Amino acid sequence: MSQASSQSPEADALLRSEIDRSLRHPVMFFFTSGAAWLAVALLLGIISSAKVHAPGFLDSCSWLTYGRVQPAHLNALIYGWGCQAAFGTLVWLMARLSRQTCRAAGLILTAGHVWNFSVTLGVIGILAGGSTGVPWMEMPVFAWVPMLLSFVVISIWSMVQFKVRPAGHVFISQWYVLAALIWFPWVFASAHLMVHGFSGSPLMAAAINAWYRSALVFLFFTPTAIAAAYYLISKVTGRPIYSYSLSLLGFWSLAIIAPWAGMQKLAGAPIPNFLPYLGAAATILIAIPAIAVGVNLLKTAAGAPETVVNSPTLRFTVAGVIGLLVTGAACVFLNVPPILRMSQFTLSGYGFDVLAIYGFFSFVAFGMIYFVVPRITRREWLSSRLIKVHFFLSVYGVVTVALVAIFGGVMQGLGQEAFAQPWEDAAMRAYPYAVATTIAWIFLLFSNVFFFLHLALMWLRLGRRSSHPTLLGHGHHANLHDSIHGPEGDIDNAGPGSAPAH
Amino acid sequence: MIDPSKPDLEESVNVTEAHERVVLGAAAASREKKLAENGSESISLWVTILCAVPLLAAGWTLGNAGTLFSYKDTVKEGYVRVIPSAGEEFALPPKDAVAAYSAKGAKIYGKCIGCHGADGKGDGANYPSLAGSEWVEGETERFAMVVLNGLTGPTSSGKTYGVMPAQGAGMSGDDLAALMTYVRNSFGNSVGDVVTREMGAAALDLSSKRANPGSPVTADELNSEHKKNLPGEPLDPATMLDPITLEPAAAE
Amino acid sequence: MSFRQFAFGLTATFGFAWLAVVIVPFFMMRSVEPVAFTEAADGKEGIYHPKTTGRVTNGAEVYASNGCYNCHTQLIRPTYAGNELGRPDWAGLKMDEERGDTRRESNVFDYQGEKFAQIGLNRLGPDLSNVGRRVEAEYAKGGDAKLWLMMHLYDPRANPQRPTSTCPSHRFLFEEKEVLGQVPQDALPVESPEGTVVIPSPDANELVDYLLSLKRDDAVPASMNYGPATKPAEAKPAAPQG
Repeated sequence: MSQASSQSPEADALLRSEIDRSLRHPVMFFFTSGAAWLAVALLLGIISSAKVHAPGFLDSCSWLTYGRVQPAHLNALIYGWGCQAAFGTLVWLMARLSRQTCRAAGLILTAGHVWNFSVTLGVIGILAGGSTGVPWMEMPVFAWVPMLLSFVVISIWSMVQFKVRPAGHVFISQWYVLAALIWFPWVFASAHLMVHGFSGSPLMAAAINAWYRSALVFLFFTPTAIAAAYYLISKVTGRPIYSYSLSLLGFWSLAIIAPWAGMQKLAGAPIPNFLPYLGAAATILIAIPAIAVGVNLLKTAAGAPETVVNSPTLRFTVAGVIGLLVTGAACVFLNVPPILRMSQFTLSGYGFDVLAIYGFFSFVAFGMIYFVVPRITRREWLSSRLIKVHFFLSVYGVVTVALVAIFGGVMQGLGQEAFAQPWEDAAMRAYPYAVATTIAWIFLLFSNVFFFLHLALMWLRLGRRSSHPTLLGHGHHANLHDSIHGPEGDIDNAGPGSAPAH
Repeated sequence: MIDPSKPDLEESVNVTEAHERVVLGAAAASREKKLAENGSESISLWVTILCAVPLLAAGWTLGNAGTLFSYKDTVKEGYVRVIPSAGEEFALPPKDAVAAYSAKGAKIYGKCIGCHGADGKGDGANYPSLAGSEWVEGETERFAMVVLNGLTGPTSSGKTYGVMPAQGAGMSGDDLAALMTYVRNSFGNSVGDVVTREMGAAALDLSSKRANPGSPVTADELNSEHKKNLPGEPLDPATMLDPITLEPAAAE
Repeated sequence: MSFRQFAFGLTATFGFAWLAVVIVPFFMMRSVEPVAFTEAADGKEGIYHPKTTGRVTNGAEVYASNGCYNCHTQLIRPTYAGNELGRPDWAGLKMDEERGDTRRESNVFDYQGEKFAQIGLNRLGPDLSNVGRRVEAEYAKGGDAKLWLMMHLYDPRANPQRPTSTCPSHRFLFEEKEVLGQVPQDALPVESPEGTVVIPSPDANELVDYLLSLKRDDAVPASMNYGPATKPAEAKPAAPQG
C-alpha cells in the first residue's frame, strides 16, 4: 500500500505472502474451476454457433437443440467462468488491499462449491429441457437462492476486511471492489425476485430481465475488472496512477449512469415509452467511464512499455483495458437511434456481450490469474510459450467474434428493416457472420485449452520453483533484467538483488 | 557448475546460508512494487472533448424518449401509425356493387343456415323458403322488418311456420344491407339491385320507431305499414366498389 | 472519498435508478386498467381482452424451455422504432378479406396469460406475433394449419418453400408409435420404420396450439388505436391509457 509501513520491507513481503497463502484454497478453486467452466462454455458456444449456419449439426440430440445449447453456453460463461473469476479476484484484492489475512477460507471454499454445484445442476437443467425461458436466468428456479446465499458467504468476509483495514488512504480498487460486492446481490436478488418470485406484468418481467442483463455486465463484471486493472497496472509497473481526478470521474460516472441502462433491448415494446430510450442514452453514456478509466490506465502503463510487453499480467490487462475502450465505443454506436432500431434483434447484442465479458472482463481476469496464481502456489508459470499462445489466440478470437457479430448484426438489421423484401433475404444475411463466429470460438477454445492445462499444472503444484518470474520477452535480448530481477541467471531468493525496501 | 542460462538448476549455492534475509516462499511478494496513487494530472482537454461525443449521442437518443417518467404512456406522444409503403399499392380487386355486398352478406347468412338451409329453401315443414319469396324479392322495408324483428303468424305464402326469432340484435346497418343484398340475389333470386348501407341504417331507425319495437312483426303489420322500399339513394348495381370498405373504388 | 460519502453516493445513485426503472413500473404495470370499447368510437360495447386458454399457457412453457426466443421475437414495434409493420403479414394481414388491413403494433394486453413476455433476442427467424394468422391465411391456406406447423417443427427444411430455414429440427417433440390396428389421426406424413408412425407428443400439441393462438391483430378500442383517422367523423385517437 502506498502509506508508509512501519514494517521492514521483508516483513511487509512476508505479510503479503501470508495473505496470499491464507487465500490459496478458495482463490485457486475459483480460478481453476472458472477456467474449466470457460472451456465448457466455449465448447457449447462452438456447438451453438455451428447450428446457426448448419442447423443439421447434431440435431438428433434434444439436449443440443439450439434453443437449449445457446442459453447453456451463456449461463456457463457468465456464472461458471465470469462470476467465479470475479469472486477469486474480488476476494484476493480486498484481502491484499486491506492487508488482512483471510480467516474464513474454508467457509469461502465451501460457498464456492455450493455455487459450482448450483451452476452445474442449472446448466444440466437447461440442456435437459428445464430452461425457464428467461434470458441469462434460464437455470431452473431452484438454483438462484443457493447462488445468492453462497455469494453472501463469499463476500461478507471481504466487507469485514475492509472495515478493519489499516487507517489511511483507500486505493481506488477497493472502492470498486466494495461497489461490486454491494451491487451484485442487489441486482441479482431484485431481478430474480421480480421475475421468478412475484407475479406481475409479463412485459415488465421482460423489461427487468433486460435491465438485469445490462446491470450484471456494467455493475459487476465491469467494476471487478476495473479494480483488478488499477491494481495490476500500478503494481507491476510501479508507476503512480496517472490521475486521481480521472479515477474519481470514472468511478462516479459508472455509479450514476449504469443503473439506468438495459431496457433499450425492449425498445418499441408496450412498456412505459421513456424506459427503453433512457436505457439507450445511459448505455451510450457508459462510454464516459470507459474513456476515463481507459485513459487513466493506458497513460499509467504507457510509462513502462517494456514492462507491459514482458509481463504476462500486463499484456492481458492492457489488452483488457483496450477492450474496455472498444466496449465504450460499441455502446455509443449500437444505441444511437438509427442503429438501435436495426441492431435491436440481431447478433449485435450477442457480439456486444461477448466483447464486454470476454474482450474486457476476461482479459483482465486472465491478467489477474497470471499475477495471483504464482503468489498463492509459490510456483512460477511453466512456459512463456503457453502464455503467448493463450494471449494471441484469445486476441484473434475475441476481436473476430466481437467485430463480426456487431458488424454482422447491423447487416442483419439492414435486411430486417427492408420490409419490402422477402424475409428469406434478411435471414440469409446472418450466414457468413455465423460461420466466422464459429471459427473464432474454435480459436478461443484452443487458447483456453492451453490456459486450462497451464493452470491445472500450477494447481497440481507442478509449477516452476523459482523466484524468477516467467516473462514473455525473448531471452536473448539483454533487457529482460531491470533493477528488480537482476541480470538473467541470477537467483533471487532473497528478493531484489541489492535495491533496498520498496 | 553454474549455468547462467538455467538459473533454476543452480545448486552450488546454498541460498539459505548465502543470504541473511530469508524470504523463501515470499519471493514473488517481495519483488513487488508499491502501489502509488498520487498522480495529480487534471482531466485533460482531450478527454473532455472525447466525452462530449457520448454526451451528444445520448442527448440525441433522449429526444425519442418523449416525456421522461411518464409511466402511463406506452407509445411516444402523438404517434400515428403510418405504415411505410412498399411503393406499390396493394388493393383487393374491386367488385361490382352486388357482388361486393353479397360477399359480405354470405358470411352473415351463416347464422341463418340453421333454419333456412344453405340453399335458402328451408325444410318445407318448419322453415319457409327464401327462394322465390315475395317478401324477400319485394319491397325492401318489409323484408328488413322481418329480418330485424322476427315474424309470427303466416308468411308471404300464407302458410304459418311458427315464430321466427328476431335477428336484429348486434346487427349493424352495413350487416343488414349486405345480408339483404345477398339473399335477394342468391338461391335463385335475382332481384339485381343493391340494398345500400344507407338503406340498412334507415331500416334500423324505422324498426326502432315501430309501435311495438322488438316484438315480432305480423303479416298484417308488414303489408299495412312497411310495404315500401327503404329510403335512400339507389346505387347502380354495376358500380365498382372496394370489397372491404364498400366505397366506390378509386378510378384507375 | 470517505466511506460515508461512498456509501451514501452508492445507495443514492443506485437506489434512485432502481426505484425509477425497476420498482415503480413493475408495480404500476401489475394491474393494468382494462380498456373498454365504446359505442360511439368503435360501434360496439364491451371490454377489450384477448382471450387465452390454459393450454396456451402450457404451450408458452414449451416455447420457453426449448429456447425459441433465441431466434424468434414476438414484438411489433411502432413505426418510430422499427419497420415490421411494413411487412405484409407480420403485424396482421395487409389484405384480410373481411377487414382489410389488420396490422397493428403490439399492445399491453397481447401478452396476458403468459408469465414472461417472450419478446425475444434475435430474428434469425421471423417474428411470431401473428404466426397463427399467417399459417392459417397463407402457409396452410385451405389446408390443415396444425399439420403445417407440426411438419415445420418436425423438419423445417423438408418444406420445399423453406429450403434455407435454419430452424432446428424438433424431432424430439414427436414419438414413434407402433401401429396396432388403425393409424392415428394425427400421424405425420413422414417416413418412419415399418409398422410405426410418427405422432406428436403432448408437448408438440401444446406448442402448436400456442403458436396457432398467436393472432395479435384484433381490433382495438379507439383509445388504443394509433391508426390514422380515415373518416372525417373520427376524432384523432385520445391519449393512451394503461
